[in-house]
Amino acid sequence: MELDSVLVRLCIESACSSRDSVERWRMQRRTLQRLPPQLASALLRRLLQRRLLSPSLLEAFKYCVDEVDLRGETSVDAEWMAYLGGFRYLHYLNVADCHRVTSSALWPIAGMTHLKELDLTRCVKFTDAGIKHLLSISTLEKLFLSETHLTAAGVALLASLSNLSVLDLGGLPVTDQALRSLQVLTKLQCLDLWGSKVSDNGVAALQMFPKLSYLNLAWTSVSLLPYFASLESLNMSNCIINSVFKYHGDKPHLSELRIAGATLENEAEAFEHIEKSFLTCLDAARSSLSRFGFLSCMVGLKYLDLSSTGLGDESVEHIARIGMNLRNLNLSNTRVSSAGVEALAGCVPNLENLSLSYTQIDDFAVLYISTMPALKAIDLSHTSIKGFIPKVGDESDQALSLTALESHHLEKLNLENTLVEDDSLFPLSKLQQLRQLSLRNCSLTDISLHRLSPLTELKSLCFCDVVLTNHGLDSFKPPATLEMLDIRGCWLLTEDAISSFHEKYPQVVVRHELVPVLPQESESSSSCTPPSRITSKSKQVTSQTPEKLQLSANFLDQRLKYNREELLALRYSSLSLAPNNGDNVPKIQLD
Amino acid sequence: MRKEDTVKLISAEGFEFVVDKRAAMVSQTIRNMLTSPGSFAETQLGEVTFPEISTTILEKICQYFHWSLQYASGKESEFHIEPELTLELMMAANYLHT
Repeated sequence: MELDSVLVRLCIESACSSRDSVERWRMQRRTLQRLPPQLASALLRRLLQRRLLSPSLLEAFKYCVDEVDLRGETSVDAEWMAYLGGFRYLHYLNVADCHRVTSSALWPIAGMTHLKELDLTRCVKFTDAGIKHLLSISTLEKLFLSETHLTAAGVALLASLSNLSVLDLGGLPVTDQALRSLQVLTKLQCLDLWGSKVSDNGVAALQMFPKLSYLNLAWTSVSLLPYFASLESLNMSNCIINSVFKYHGDKPHLSELRIAGATLENEAEAFEHIEKSFLTCLDAARSSLSRFGFLSCMVGLKYLDLSSTGLGDESVEHIARIGMNLRNLNLSNTRVSSAGVEALAGCVPNLENLSLSYTQIDDFAVLYISTMPALKAIDLSHTSIKGFIPKVGDESDQALSLTALESHHLEKLNLENTLVEDDSLFPLSKLQQLRQLSLRNCSLTDISLHRLSPLTELKSLCFCDVVLTNHGLDSFKPPATLEMLDIRGCWLLTEDAISSFHEKYPQVVVRHELVPVLPQESESSSSCTPPSRITSKSKQVTSQTPEKLQLSANFLDQRLKYNREELLALRYSSLSLAPNNGDNVPKIQLD
Repeated sequence: MRKEDTVKLISAEGFEFVVDKRAAMVSQTIRNMLTSPGSFAETQLGEVTFPEISTTILEKICQYFHWSLQYASGKESEFHIEPELTLELMMAANYLHT
């Protein structure tokens, strides 16, 4: 939730500016109790980001906070849970990836009366012994236990949490028997069983869930599903599928089907018992599909992923027939060539995302792509696109293929590892809506980078493996909107050139082998340690520079705060402190 | 300044702050009170009483109104908030939609 009030944000910044400022408000217990939940949650989140939150401070929030998200906080342990157990009105608790949360650490939250959602994903020390603490929280509606250390016996005990509507048991060794014991959970709507030991025998039990609408059976040995009236979304990725559903008078109205990486034993019948026209999303990437006639009935498809399948030009006509509603189409790593793209031209009026990477397309495909009016993102990486359309006979007069895209409102374009050259990229400067551009090609030079300056919307630019010189980077004027410049693999650049670019345009994050990748919270973590001499010294330097209002300054690296001269000066000043101090001591004694 | 251009904000303890109407309108809540159709006492008298907001906090709020106008007109400066005021001020700001 974003706070739209500026003054509230200023208050939170001030309250969380240091350990000292926390001390000055934490004793106002009555005020804390009256704090509206959304303000209290925002304050708590900021304290956590600034690494100022300790278990004892947590206690101050026990009457005002109803949602606590501690995802990925490695310091969260039994002591934190002890305080969280005292949160009177808590209804949401997320401790995913907190690896110190053990079974016994959950004892304090047993019997909480308002808790509706609990996320213990990847708490690897959570075992069957911890289940008994959860069973007393009868209000639980959503429970996420994937990749914990539960066994089938522990899972079976969950049957007494009768209010559950969402249950994530991904990556747990759930057996057919354990699944059968969960049949009493009739309110269940979403069930995750990926990677479990459930088999064809066990899934029959799933019919007992009358409201089940989302089911994930990826990486299981299930090959045939019974009929489900309520099911809307099904994931059978990486399974060996016989038929998605057994024969039944009615066909389920599935809207989302994911069978990525699946092997289809009987291709002709796999989709036989689904109401095909209701399907809006089909992900069959890396599946064993080789015939695509079934597509022609799926008229409602918006999202279609057939990457890395046996799709060839001859099957593209099936996609063209249902192209009316398509928004996303991924055909990368298939046998599709420019002729296939031609078959699509004019048939996909609403297509927004198109991926054709790792295919055999050439520059004619770009011309056909330009007939798709709604396109916003195109991925043409790893193809043999040159940017020139070869004309028969006349070598000197070649048309630039990328010119065809000029009239589109393209936002993302990926041309990595293609055969484009500086001259053929000329039309890119006219793609004014472009936000994200990727180029990776060792035949490009400074010129191409300089042509990108007029792109006023560009936020992220990947310009890798290019023959970029120090001078080229130095004279590059990035668009004002640019946030990220990835120049990895530009081996000609020196550290000085990159740092001087960074000095000129501090808002741009530069990625290069010579730029160390900084951990996101280096400043906030340093505020935990007692101030060393260097930091106390550096504070004096900053006070001279005009201070600007920083609302989102949650992270400021010391190296970015000062320019080179200031840093050098600091280095010497800290060295010279020692002898100075020595001189001062006798003076003070004299005084 | 004419009386119509000002508005009187009254704290829980009864202290009165007379501020520029434009500044007070930084708060969406006060704006609604002053501009809502119908004859509310607030609209007619140009007075708003806040029985929940203490004098110290209301003073800070008024300072913020003026700082906010200046900031919007391009004069960038820092608005300092004492940490001990943050909780109360946050609640008042939330109530006033400012």
